Amino acid sequence: MSEGPDERIEVGEGRRNFLKIAVAGAAALAVGGAVGYYAREGEVTALKKRVEELAAQVGVEVGPVLEENLNIYNWTWYANLALVEQWAEENNIHLVYDFFEDLDTAISTITTGAAQYDLTVISDNEAQELWEGGYLREIDLDKIPNFKYVPEEFKGLPYDPDNTYSIIYSYGTTGIGYNADFVPEGITAWADLFEVDNPDSVIRRHAGKVTMMRDSTETLAAAAIYLGYDIDTTNESELQRIADLLIAQKPYLYGYVQTEDYMNELPVGQRYYISHAWNGDIAGIVYASDEYEVYIETYYDNIKYVVPEEGAVVWYDNFVIPKNAQNIEAAHAYINWFLDPVVSAIHTITIKYPYPAGLKYVPVEIKNDPMIFTPSELADRLYLGRALTPEERAIREQYWNMVMTA
Amino acid sequence: MNVADVIRRSRRLKLFIFIGIPMIYLLIFFFIPFLIALLYSLGMFKQVVYQYHFVPEPSLEYYVGLSKYPGIFKAIQRSFYYATLTTIGTLLISYPLAYYIGVKLEERYRDLAVLVVFTPFWINFLLRVYAMRFILHEAGMVNTILRLLGIITEPIRFLGTDVAVIVVMIYSYLIFMVLPLYGVLEKLNVELLEAAYTLGATPFRAFLKITLPLSIPGILAGSLLVFIPAVGEFVIPELVGGPNTTTLGTIIYSFFLRVRGVTGWGIGSAAGLIYIAMILVASYVYMRFVGGEVRLG
Amino acid sequence: MKLFDKILKAYTYTVLALIYLPIVILIIFSFNESRSKVVFTGFTLENYYSLIGNYRVWDSFYNSIWTGAVVTVVSVVLAILMAYGVSRYEFSGKTLIDSIMLIPIIIPEIVEALTLLVFLVIIGIELSPYTVIIGHVAFDISFAYVVVKARMAGYDPQFEEAARTLGADEIRAFTKVTLPILAPGIAAAALIAFLESYDDFIKTFFTRPPGFMTLPVYIWNMASRRGFPLDLNALATFVVAISLIFAYIRNRIERRVY
Repeated sequence: MSEGPDERIEVGEGRRNFLKIAVAGAAALAVGGAVGYYAREGEVTALKKRVEELAAQVGVEVGPVLEENLNIYNWTWYANLALVEQWAEENNIHLVYDFFEDLDTAISTITTGAAQYDLTVISDNEAQELWEGGYLREIDLDKIPNFKYVPEEFKGLPYDPDNTYSIIYSYGTTGIGYNADFVPEGITAWADLFEVDNPDSVIRRHAGKVTMMRDSTETLAAAAIYLGYDIDTTNESELQRIADLLIAQKPYLYGYVQTEDYMNELPVGQRYYISHAWNGDIAGIVYASDEYEVYIETYYDNIKYVVPEEGAVVWYDNFVIPKNAQNIEAAHAYINWFLDPVVSAIHTITIKYPYPAGLKYVPVEIKNDPMIFTPSELADRLYLGRALTPEERAIREQYWNMVMTA
Repeated sequence: MNVADVIRRSRRLKLFIFIGIPMIYLLIFFFIPFLIALLYSLGMFKQVVYQYHFVPEPSLEYYVGLSKYPGIFKAIQRSFYYATLTTIGTLLISYPLAYYIGVKLEERYRDLAVLVVFTPFWINFLLRVYAMRFILHEAGMVNTILRLLGIITEPIRFLGTDVAVIVVMIYSYLIFMVLPLYGVLEKLNVELLEAAYTLGATPFRAFLKITLPLSIPGILAGSLLVFIPAVGEFVIPELVGGPNTTTLGTIIYSFFLRVRGVTGWGIGSAAGLIYIAMILVASYVYMRFVGGEVRLG
Repeated sequence: MKLFDKILKAYTYTVLALIYLPIVILIIFSFNESRSKVVFTGFTLENYYSLIGNYRVWDSFYNSIWTGAVVTVVSVVLAILMAYGVSRYEFSGKTLIDSIMLIPIIIPEIVEALTLLVFLVIIGIELSPYTVIIGHVAFDISFAYVVVKARMAGYDPQFEEAARTLGADEIRAFTKVTLPILAPGIAAAALIAFLESYDDFIKTFFTRPPGFMTLPVYIWNMASRRGFPLDLNALATFVVAISLIFAYIRNRIERRVY
């Protein structure tokens, strides 16, 4: 299992065949395990273990000389940790898998330069701001052969056209989640949440039962989309209208809440049942996902997610290597392992966020769930944020504070 | 002459040990960073990828910039409002408690009583705040009890309101008032009180004339330990409050972490420094008023 | 008077009950079958089994305790020196020092945390558990100082002078007379200093090395995305139980002494 790079080139062909077999086998097991979950709950653990074993074998494929340590900094609930821990064990890496709970803290930690993380996950425009600021190290794609499994539409995205500094981790949209038990008529558009002058609008009929995100970027963007502005507008008269709209909406809201809050409340529906939300979090509720377990059956069928007609924010999270990283080889190896189709597929099945490289081996139920894999026909109404300067953010924050303290 | 003798003889050396050592520590690990905040607020500090540079061109840009944030003044007002109510609340709740334990309770049970009061605080602050959140939840205990008693039919909403923030703040800060109060009340000279009774003082007069004045250092210390952190409180409004409970702490936090860069840190530092100046003035006035002297305690 | 005492007693017990209420809730829900912390669905010990295997919780709990202990000792010692110096000696700038000592309590934590971090980067200190301790001590000195000084305010320097007249030198007078009198104040200061460190997470978050978690950092991370696991309720039960058992044993031992 510890072939050097040279040997790997020689046996490349055979290896690839093995890889195919392993991949197919593991995928079959993953699906089988999932199906088995319905019938024989007890066996799913054993099946999962075999999937992991196979995946780990595939993972060793990367194998050049790795450092002994690897410090990863990632969101909570964003990878199957059992699998990650096993990878570290197989590669004799002392892995520190650290969590952050919001991107702002993570970025501050990285940019001050004190903490040394080797690999972290940062979203699109923020990644651009980081590499433009010189905080990221170039990624050596030669060391990541599995990059070829990344579908073309996730390569060379606008924030990093040549994948010099970033490689896709996951992606999704910010739309509206709701509990269909309480909103049988459904929700289709931002207008449902912003037409406060129309007494028959969703927000008026469900006054006090709607939440927006307590996140300035997302909530300002939602209002901007409804008004037909650029989501990252810094035009003060536009921002003023956005603020006015949000202030007009405020009396009809339950409040501005955080992920943890709506994830717990939506299924119950007592405090509120319509939330401005991230798709993967809603999927997380629907499948009651867990970072150590593979669940594939839906748990709360009454929770729906919609990408509004007017459009929505799309975001891409990316692997990036901070400038002051120490364990570069191991970081590359981890990315390569993660991009392995089977590994990505298992992470997707577990967490219910889409890891694009694994699309092929994800069970049909999940692959076809628009909540998890955003359908490509929506592409023309999705808006990607752009990099902002601190001054631009300061202006936006000013209007956000106006809404918050209104 | 050995070292101990030198120390005994030199007043300067003694002063150095008592005041100097702690001050040197604070100077290095608190006041130099504090100076960095000051430099940021004056636009005299820049960062280029892990390298920090001093720019000797002070400007008041960020202080002026602050005036563009009308929300800040509302937030400051609210922060002081919460902190004042929290201080009064904790004082009213703690005083009788500390008095009972420190004065009335048999001496041998006092330590035990303090431990029992303290025990819930071994549980992490965040867990306690979350527990309060579940109690105040629309489906939580308070609402359930009120409903069972037939007082309400529709659940009352606490979370996201001032009530929730203040209740949780009082609960979280209570121990910081109890301990200093207990500290002074416990050493209260009971014989002094008895002497007062013998001389015909009513219990109420004795309390006003003897107990209360003697407990002022405790009240002062407790109020400082509650009021000051309470003004800057960020976590509690974040967890049990909502947009209508935005405090100064929340706004300063957002400058540093959301706006980021030299601008964010500059405005954030400026807001922080103005706030520090305000509190220093407020506590000075408070101590003059309550303590009759400027010195703390 | 008797009636007043009874009311006072009843009041004390009521307040105690209220203080314990959230803790009781945490403990009850540690036995909850479903993940909900609001609705009790059924009894289980599952959360306790899961707690035993949850190394992240134990690791962060251990880190919280040991850093908290070190922080407490260092900051209380420094605070005693300071409080003693300020109370006993006359020198210019005393009032100034009193005000300066308030600043670490006043400063919004995020300002303090990030500027300390910048300072550490500038002087080239690598992050380690000790940088967390350094950061905590910087604000804890002030908390401890305020409490110790309050105790010192009501204390009559005559005792110490008497001891000195009787031949004890200053250092001995301090250790044999002053310190024991200050003991309750010191204990209170230590408890407060420990709590401030044990509960802190903003400063910890920025000054910790990768992977070093304290309990608040762990809880904040878990809770802000999905709500924390009920393992933590189980841990709360464990901590309260230990603490109360400790209080009980202590009381038994003391009673024997009396």
